[in-house]
Amino acid sequence: MATLRLMQARCAHKVMTLPEAVGRFVRSGISIGLGGQNIGRVAVAAAHEIIRQGHGDLTLFGCNLSISMDLLVGAGLVRRCESGTGNLERFGTAFAWRRGIENGSLEVEDYSHLAMVSRFLAGEMGLPFMPVKSLLGSDMLTHRSRSGPKKFEIVTNPWNPGEPVVLVPAVTPDVSIIHVQKADAMGNVIIEGFATHEPEMVRASHAVIVTCEELVDTDAIRLDPERTTIAYPHISAVVHQPWGAYPTSTYRYYDFDSDEIRRYQAAARAGGDTYRRYLDRAVHAVETFDEYLDQVCPAARRHDLQVAMRSMI
Amino acid sequence: MPAYTLEELMVIEAARHINDGDVVFVGGGLPLPATTFAQRTHAPNLCFVVESGAIAPIVIPTPISISDPKLLHKAVRLGTLREVLGCLLQRGLVDVGFLGGAQIDRFANINSTVIGDYTKPAMRFPGSGGANDIASHARRLLIITRHERRRFPNRCDYVTSPGYLDGPDGRRLAGLNVTRPAITVVTDLAVLEIDPERGTLHITGLMPGVSVQQVRERTEFELDTAGVVRTVEPPTDEQVELLRDEIDPAGVYLSSKREH
Repeated sequence: MATLRLMQARCAHKVMTLPEAVGRFVRSGISIGLGGQNIGRVAVAAAHEIIRQGHGDLTLFGCNLSISMDLLVGAGLVRRCESGTGNLERFGTAFAWRRGIENGSLEVEDYSHLAMVSRFLAGEMGLPFMPVKSLLGSDMLTHRSRSGPKKFEIVTNPWNPGEPVVLVPAVTPDVSIIHVQKADAMGNVIIEGFATHEPEMVRASHAVIVTCEELVDTDAIRLDPERTTIAYPHISAVVHQPWGAYPTSTYRYYDFDSDEIRRYQAAARAGGDTYRRYLDRAVHAVETFDEYLDQVCPAARRHDLQVAMRSMI
Repeated sequence: MPAYTLEELMVIEAARHINDGDVVFVGGGLPLPATTFAQRTHAPNLCFVVESGAIAPIVIPTPISISDPKLLHKAVRLGTLREVLGCLLQRGLVDVGFLGGAQIDRFANINSTVIGDYTKPAMRFPGSGGANDIASHARRLLIITRHERRRFPNRCDYVTSPGYLDGPDGRRLAGLNVTRPAITVVTDLAVLEIDPERGTLHITGLMPGVSVQQVRERTEFELDTAGVVRTVEPPTDEQVELLRDEIDPAGVYLSSKREH
């Protein structure tokens, strides 16, 4: 995987289709870092494609894991999650995730969000672990998943004897998937609005698939380089996929779609055949994410979501 | 007396515990409308921080998520999770951490993870998110939750976010930087605060018309009263109208059922 990443980093043109990108970088049994948060900029299109291609036995990493994680879990493709939450807040919890944990089919390891981003920070800097002062006294230090690597280590601050510090292990996902506003063919990425844990997670990953609202010229990137959130050596594939975060929002482009999130949550909560029918309709019965979009979010609705976003900037 | 519900007064009372100029790290759920209310009234200079990376937005009502674009409006910075949870919170620059509660025990520990066995729980909740970080590092902790007996167990099944852990020295012995934070729990029945001598919650305020007995009936753990128990000040007409008409007009967080 590392060799492949270096080859990709040297390749000037990383634009490909979503099936090509997922087909090239995602395999069964790997670990995947998921971008976005709750109902904002979640890489939903990429998750749909992973489900269509059926890569399973996955380990997922993230801070807040929401719809992309829940889709992969609901499709039966996930063995383990390490994160801070599975949550869609007012829309409810992540129901497929919750069901998997409660029936014992899904293994989880709980950290706080700061602990997770510290793990990505260690990974992106080539370090084995990172200290944090969260978690102390909590049951995240007394309860662990049944398998998996050592969750943490408590050491004493060498410069302040007697002070406990928690060390959390680096995370270096095999692949991360994120949806962003802009990217160029080289793989330079511009994230607008909040960036959550993505900069650390992306730079810690062995390969990264970026879906973007707009493909921009590298000349434009070079004219305004301080706007680049993540530079191209970290990126493996760039996919032009407008609305790739739908039904979650993309800052400056479109608001989240409450109706479709509720439809997803209703199906995920019901589980069983109801959930299978949702996956069939939204993922398996279509060849591309655009087909799904045309079915559930017609042009007029998309226009409304764009107007709603503009009114909040 | 103007018509208001105790649920509405709970939000307004919680907002009163935020001072103008405070840096407030705001969790999901009821802390969102309560902090928005404070920003629209007595605390226009509060620094609203959410974990997605937004710093000092002027919030458009009614955000339904930590990543709702309504929470990003006119922020001074839209940054990263590490910046706000690490460089503001763990760094010690947050005055108030504001959380909703799933389960809160007598030491003000919060459980938002599981009921029952961790590896095969009877019920799974969303987990920590930034809540453990907020409870660990904020100088002062504000918690808002509806007062139901199941939400106030003697001991949490799982401590996601630390209160005083097991007594007045619990946090110091665990190695937390903030050893004895003020902790205030605002509910629709009462205001509970940590008695720092014992490290446990006691009643410091009652909602109008609510008795100590009623609070105890809806609390599993033993609940003493502070030396002086005040009655929470009722809201003004303007405050109730602001809450209903502007902060949560669609009733996302608050039902409109009148109790007073």
